[in-house]
Amino acid sequence: MNTNPGSAILNVEDLSVSYGSFHAVKHISFDVKAGEIFGFLGPNGAGKTSTLSAVEGLVKPQSGIITVAGYDTRKKPLYARANLGVQLQATSFQPELTVTEIIKLYAGIYCVDLTKEKLHNILEEIKLEGSASKKFKELSGGQQQRVSLVIATIHDPVLVLMDEPTSGLDPQSRRQLWERIEAMREKGHGILLTTHSMEEAESVCDRIAIMDHGNVIAIDTPQSLIDRHRNDPSVISVSRKGKITLEDVFIGLTGRTVRA
Amino acid sequence: METQIPKTSAALSALLRADFKTQWRNRRSVILLLLVPVIILISWKGLIETLNKMGKNGGTFVLSTCITIGLTAIGLMGYSNAIARDRDKGVFQRLRVTPVPTWSIMGSRLIVQLLMIFLLTTFVFLIGSDYDKVTLSPAGYALTYLTAFVGGALYLGLGQMIVGLVKNAETVNSTTRLVYFVFIMVGTLGDVLLIKKEYKDFRNIIQWSPYGTVKTIIAASMNPTQWDNNATMAFLVTIAYAALFSYLGIKNFKWNTQ
Repeated sequence: MNTNPGSAILNVEDLSVSYGSFHAVKHISFDVKAGEIFGFLGPNGAGKTSTLSAVEGLVKPQSGIITVAGYDTRKKPLYARANLGVQLQATSFQPELTVTEIIKLYAGIYCVDLTKEKLHNILEEIKLEGSASKKFKELSGGQQQRVSLVIATIHDPVLVLMDEPTSGLDPQSRRQLWERIEAMREKGHGILLTTHSMEEAESVCDRIAIMDHGNVIAIDTPQSLIDRHRNDPSVISVSRKGKITLEDVFIGLTGRTVRA
Repeated sequence: METQIPKTSAALSALLRADFKTQWRNRRSVILLLLVPVIILISWKGLIETLNKMGKNGGTFVLSTCITIGLTAIGLMGYSNAIARDRDKGVFQRLRVTPVPTWSIMGSRLIVQLLMIFLLTTFVFLIGSDYDKVTLSPAGYALTYLTAFVGGALYLGLGQMIVGLVKNAETVNSTTRLVYFVFIMVGTLGDVLLIKKEYKDFRNIIQWSPYGTVKTIIAASMNPTQWDNNATMAFLVTIAYAALFSYLGIKNFKWNTQ
């Protein structure tokens, strides 16, 4: 991987995404730097997944410019995707294929030279050497997430997108995944993840953006957001533990109403 | 450093390996698809002799029926259901975020189906030759492979149209079963009417239906010396059907179910 730490590897400018008359994302801008974990928070339907889908090239934006490692995702989609690793929210692979076959498939797609030794090391690293010949559908949720993360990073991309990566995982698996994400940051990958877990955002994210109704309503480090909003009446009114947490700031900014 | 995008040929090769493995792991359903033509081949042995006595080419009639029904099953039951299932599970979305052109994702699936058509045709020829003692000239075999691919394109196009118009995988499954059943019924009715030489209007409708045109070109290609204007017209209509179904299928196709 060839990136300068701190340089922006994802630039999103004035992005808008609509589905018919529904405006899911409204003129948002942000960037993700190399060696940074950037968290995307927001209630259900805030526009997080739509934003990620636009970056991945799965939905066509109405307006805006997205560049990945300097490549415009609309003008040079294949070049942008070559620099992108993706862990989808409902990642699924052909259920008939084994773990080894899935890894070989994606190594082949990215033209990654996968020797027997390298494959063994990958399986050992994700603690699936005993499940190499198991079909994907036979793995537990945590094991599936580990395979999915390996696939997302098999070509050593500069940017990794993760859509709610720890959703449905037990605490042990979640901690393990956090360690893997942090290890990726140490290697210089930029990581953009969406999450509903404030604990996750506070623990692993260097910066976070809070989205609501298609708009980015705040971007900063978790601590700076807490410091900036600790005296807001809307934040104080939802505080439960006597001290202001990121969750209090989030609910204070996005409201208490449960979203559909 | 300049980004290198993976070669499409290498990506297509990886996709093909995975798709062939998937097809191999689903070999039980493949066998079931081939079972109907085999049952017809075996159970209609007596019909071949009866038709031959009536001055009709019984061997051509039975073999072309078997291949046509097999092609219907591949396009409607095999291809469309596999596409609907993988779309439902997000397999396509996962592949679409990789730097491979989207045509290669579907192209790989279609190549697997072409192999299925080749296997079906070969299978029918082998059993036809061994059990029913029906053999063709070398030109007949070669031309039948060609028309089987053309007929297969029609049914793959029809399958594509169904997954283009219907999003839910279970609804796709039930729709393709219904269409398959209708085609079998139309085919059987058409065969009876063609033999009896009655009900001219019905015969015309069935003869120029997607089932009828495919069966006509396959039957004609088994005896290349008897290829006539009717077969040429059926060939052109088959291509037109294939183009129309494929156009509608591709135009309306969504890569995800949301």
